[in-house]
Amino acid sequence: MIKLTQIKKSYGRHQVLKGIDLTVEKGEVVAILGPSGSGKTTLLRCMNYLERPSEGEITIDGFTVNCKRPSKSDIHSLRKQSAMVFQQYNLFRHKTALENVMEGLVVVQKVPKEQARKRSIELLEKVGLGSKLDAYPSQLSGGQQQRVGIARALALNPKVILFDEPTSSLDPELVGEVLSVIRKIAREGITMIIVTHEMSFAQEVAGHVIFIDDGMIVERGTPNELFNSPKEERTKQFLKRYTPDGVYSI
Amino acid sequence: MGQHQFEISYVFEYLVKLLPSLKITLLIVFSSILIGAAVGLLVALPRLYRIPVLQRLSGIYVSFFRGTPILIQLFLFYYGMPEMLKLIGIDVSRTSALYFVILTYSLHSGAYISELIRGAVAAVDRGQVEAAYAMGMSGYQAFSRIVLPQALAISIPVFANLVIGNLKDTSLAFSLGIMEMSGTARTISALSQRFVEIYIALAILYLLISLALQKLFVRLERHLFRHEPAAAAAKREPRGKRTFFRKFGSVTDIPGKEARL
Ligand SMILES: Nc1ncnc2c1ncn2[C@@H]1O[C@H](COP(=O)(O)OP(=O)(O)O)[C@@H](O)[C@H]1O
Ligand SMILES: [Mg+2]
Repeated sequence: MIKLTQIKKSYGRHQVLKGIDLTVEKGEVVAILGPSGSGKTTLLRCMNYLERPSEGEITIDGFTVNCKRPSKSDIHSLRKQSAMVFQQYNLFRHKTALENVMEGLVVVQKVPKEQARKRSIELLEKVGLGSKLDAYPSQLSGGQQQRVGIARALALNPKVILFDEPTSSLDPELVGEVLSVIRKIAREGITMIIVTHEMSFAQEVAGHVIFIDDGMIVERGTPNELFNSPKEERTKQFLKRYTPDGVYSI
Repeated sequence: MGQHQFEISYVFEYLVKLLPSLKITLLIVFSSILIGAAVGLLVALPRLYRIPVLQRLSGIYVSFFRGTPILIQLFLFYYGMPEMLKLIGIDVSRTSALYFVILTYSLHSGAYISELIRGAVAAVDRGQVEAAYAMGMSGYQAFSRIVLPQALAISIPVFANLVIGNLKDTSLAFSLGIMEMSGTARTISALSQRFVEIYIALAILYLLISLALQKLFVRLERHLFRHEPAAAAAKREPRGKRTFFRKFGSVTDIPGKEARL
């Protein structure tokens, strides 16, 4: 359902992505692991054209964009295929939780306001924020903001949701509430690509795990394969750093 | 100073006498801010979106109006423009000087407002636009629905400074014979020779309008910043100052036009 072919991205002379190929099936959850600066964020941002790839081809649900010369409407259509959950939440600061979730429905999808409102309230209840409809982002904790961010992404009913380290700006005690919401929607069969440093979470929810280093996919496989019997030396070293005792069991 | 002894009662008398000319002063301020806001937005857009040639022209326009004294701008427009227009066969020699004054102040404000818009838009977190784009909004939708409302809130203190600065600058319009407050004060004082009383009355009027405007803007800012109650309150309530000083203070505490941009 999602197919990336030879995605390359350079900033000036620095090549950040060196030809990424990736296929994701419908309903699948893919976790992307990798050290800081390896290009994970850039890869996600290329998929909705927040960054412009230098080369490659992106297909989401049959809609293909060739990155050599995409038209404005291609980019626009591609962006409507996906939704993104940001590391820094990026909720619209001047809008309430409810308005944040409604915004895309009303403005982009032209859903009538009342209907959008109803659906948004349902989604906010689903992420456990039914009592915070009228709160502004500044009045919410990080974990609550990120849950609004997830509801906002769900509202658009996208083909895929892209998560960029959704919990790494959170205080440790708030990580759990966000992970459990993601876990819940993963079970509903929504296609997701998640960049994360939460190893045990990745192991638990992902159908496939991908390890990226230095702009390349070093290794891919099921969580079991990747965590318990990694083949590449770089993968082993990375996992060792995140799990000091080097032991992972499901 | 004058030949007369100071008498407070004249201050009150002159306050009343000056009041009718307040209309002209406010007319200049508000029409120039209004036109200036439209001009400012138009001028800011090419620079925000880096449109090749227009961007340069905007830059030149802004440099000129920010880099030369408004008095010189007034004279240039008042004496220069009729000459220029004569060349293309338009006679404006009978047009009231007031129009030239409003035109000059509008273009002058426009330059500052365009810089203000640029600064405020740049101050809106980049992540806000990205979230808008990521959900499929067009550039126009992202600008008008997400960036502009936040930029407006950010720009209120600078804008307040601009309007109050403009109010004070209108006192220069008397040099073209406009009978706004300062012009009227000059005329009355020339006749009565009670300079101190009349300028006290004049100062009181400017001060009152400045304070009223300041109060208005604080309210507006509070309204536009209702989504950040904590931050806005912290900024607005310098601890330990009494109300009067707080009001005075806030007029001058606001970062200057240049300082912010
Ligand atoms: N806008 C940019 N300009 C220049 N270099 C960038 C930019 N964004 C990211 N990079 C570089 O690209 C590399 C990959 O960054 P990123 O995708 O954020 O890595 P990750 O998310 O895996 O930590 C880093 O070396 C980073 O410095
Ligand atoms: Mg990153």
